[in-house]
Amino acid sequence: MMMNDIFDVNNIEFNSNTKTKDEALQFIASFAENAGIVKSAKAYYKGLKKREKEVTTGFKDGIAIPHSKHKTVIKPALMLVKYDHPIEWESMDDKPVHITFALAIPEGKNQEHLKVLSTISRALIDEDFTNSILAASSKEDMYQLVQGKLSDLND
Amino acid sequence: MSQKKIVGVTACSAGIAHTYMAAESLEKAGTEKGYQIKIETQGSIGVENALTDQEIEEADVVILAVEINIDMSRFNGKRVMRVRASEAIKNPDELIENALNEATIYGEKGAKAGSVTMGKTEEGGFFQHIMAGISYMIPMVIASGLILAIANVYAFQRDEAGRIIEWGFDTSTVMGELMSHLFDVGQVGFLLMIPLFAGFVANSIAGKPAIAAAMIGTYIANDAEMLGAEAGGGFLGAILVAFATGYLVKLLKKIPYPKLIQPIVPIMLIPLVSTLLISLFVLYVVGNPMASMMNFMYDGLTTLNENYAAAPVLVGVIIGAMIGIDLGGPFNKTALVFGTAVFTDTVAKYGIEGANFVPQTATQAAISVAPLGIWLASILFKKKFSPTEKVSAHSAFGMGIVGVTEGAIPFAAQDPVRMITAFVAGSAVAGGLAAGLGIKFYGGIGSPIGTFIGYIEQPIPFITWIFSVMMGVLVTALIIGFTKKKVE
Repeated sequence: MMMNDIFDVNNIEFNSNTKTKDEALQFIASFAENAGIVKSAKAYYKGLKKREKEVTTGFKDGIAIPHSKHKTVIKPALMLVKYDHPIEWESMDDKPVHITFALAIPEGKNQEHLKVLSTISRALIDEDFTNSILAASSKEDMYQLVQGKLSDLND
Repeated sequence: MSQKKIVGVTACSAGIAHTYMAAESLEKAGTEKGYQIKIETQGSIGVENALTDQEIEEADVVILAVEINIDMSRFNGKRVMRVRASEAIKNPDELIENALNEATIYGEKGAKAGSVTMGKTEEGGFFQHIMAGISYMIPMVIASGLILAIANVYAFQRDEAGRIIEWGFDTSTVMGELMSHLFDVGQVGFLLMIPLFAGFVANSIAGKPAIAAAMIGTYIANDAEMLGAEAGGGFLGAILVAFATGYLVKLLKKIPYPKLIQPIVPIMLIPLVSTLLISLFVLYVVGNPMASMMNFMYDGLTTLNENYAAAPVLVGVIIGAMIGIDLGGPFNKTALVFGTAVFTDTVAKYGIEGANFVPQTATQAAISVAPLGIWLASILFKKKFSPTEKVSAHSAFGMGIVGVTEGAIPFAAQDPVRMITAFVAGSAVAGGLAAGLGIKFYGGIGSPIGTFIGYIEQPIPFITWIFSVMMGVLVTALIIGFTKKKVE
């Protein structure tokens, strides 16, 4: 199934030692390399940084959505990281971030995965969804919540 | 109050996250407020949920939450609020309310939208307004032009000698009766299309309050009888009236009206005042100069014709050029009237053998050059015409081939310098050749097929006439083709 390629339970991680935005981006990048999502963690990290410079991806209520479209990306993916420490992200409501929804997008013309990723972006506007995600304590719960949002696409 | 309608576009530099978050956020907030809202996303997927022209037209306000340059032309004349995409994510409720209350008409120079100044002069410039008018005029040009063209084919009757030169419908037959009605139908379209064009040009400049004055003013400017002139102002007159109205209404909008009468300002006060002022302007300021200009041109042609009777090429070139310059406006009409008058006068004086055919032949050789030139250019230079332009160019062929020159008007209005240059050059060539080669146009359709549907005396039967007209068409097409830019 399309969606499992982009997101499964293994793409969710808990992080206990990251304290800054920069560390968080580095963590996401190496996580992506280990998971075989990107070729080079360094290149992906640079891509994420570049996007943050254009405009912050910090959203509201403790959520950020760092993303990069980069040639180092092997397969499109969504990665969820939940942090123990609140992280300053220059977000829209100035609140620190607890969860990042990181997107890795390969270059090229494949449109299907972009649909999935745009659905995730839209889902963040739904406060019920973001509240549940923030409250969820297990990877399995978080996975079910995201999958619930994405299921519209698979109908 | 009916339900408020809001449309919008979201786009961010990456086109991955913010575009969609902004769209979702606006849709959610708008729906919760009970508005009808539709947001187009221009992201890395491409355009999704695209807005139609009708949806834009019907919307009370347009919200653009964009960080990249997008095509603004379709929002001409609409109230537009432009902000960064993050603004729509952060505070959609406030944004929507601000947009409904404070958005300004797009297309005005220096119009402020949100905190971003969009007033690049060219964005709200002359051609944006002209294009807005043309897009509304084209369907009417095509529908009425083709109906007129069909009817016109049936309008030529044979005289006693069997020559097809009499123009008029034989209403004693069912077909003739029907065609004479269809001809009237087409005429109504041509009568309406010029004011329609002006109305929407003015709308693009200053919004709905400007439509009444522009349409009424242009109707008068195009009505020879009301003006006391030999012909109306044509589309050049329409452009003049539309811009005069647009900027007048913009001025009227700037007056600080007392709060009490503010609600009636856009629907009553401005339309009334602007219609009065523009109509008087057209009647008393435009009418007389135009009538005297036409008289002046007419006298000039008479002198020319008398002094250069030995140089029919020169007379033909000048008359041809006048036909191409304004496609149904004062120049064109003066030349046509002159051609017919000289022919009838000299026939009356010297009989058909001694008649002066030169001016009339030149007008008829030139009359189809502009629309056919456009069509030929669109065939020879396909990449330089947009899909809409191609449709217009094909229908221009349908009109041009039966001697209806108005099919070229949308092109002339949209790109006056290039098009009028090309039309004038081609029409002058056709007029000059036809006159210089000694062709005698008795009557019929002013186009290449006039030699079949009509009666034309010429050195080599059929060939000379078709050659003369087609050379003009070719010149027009080549000038357009070599100077027009490729469509992106």
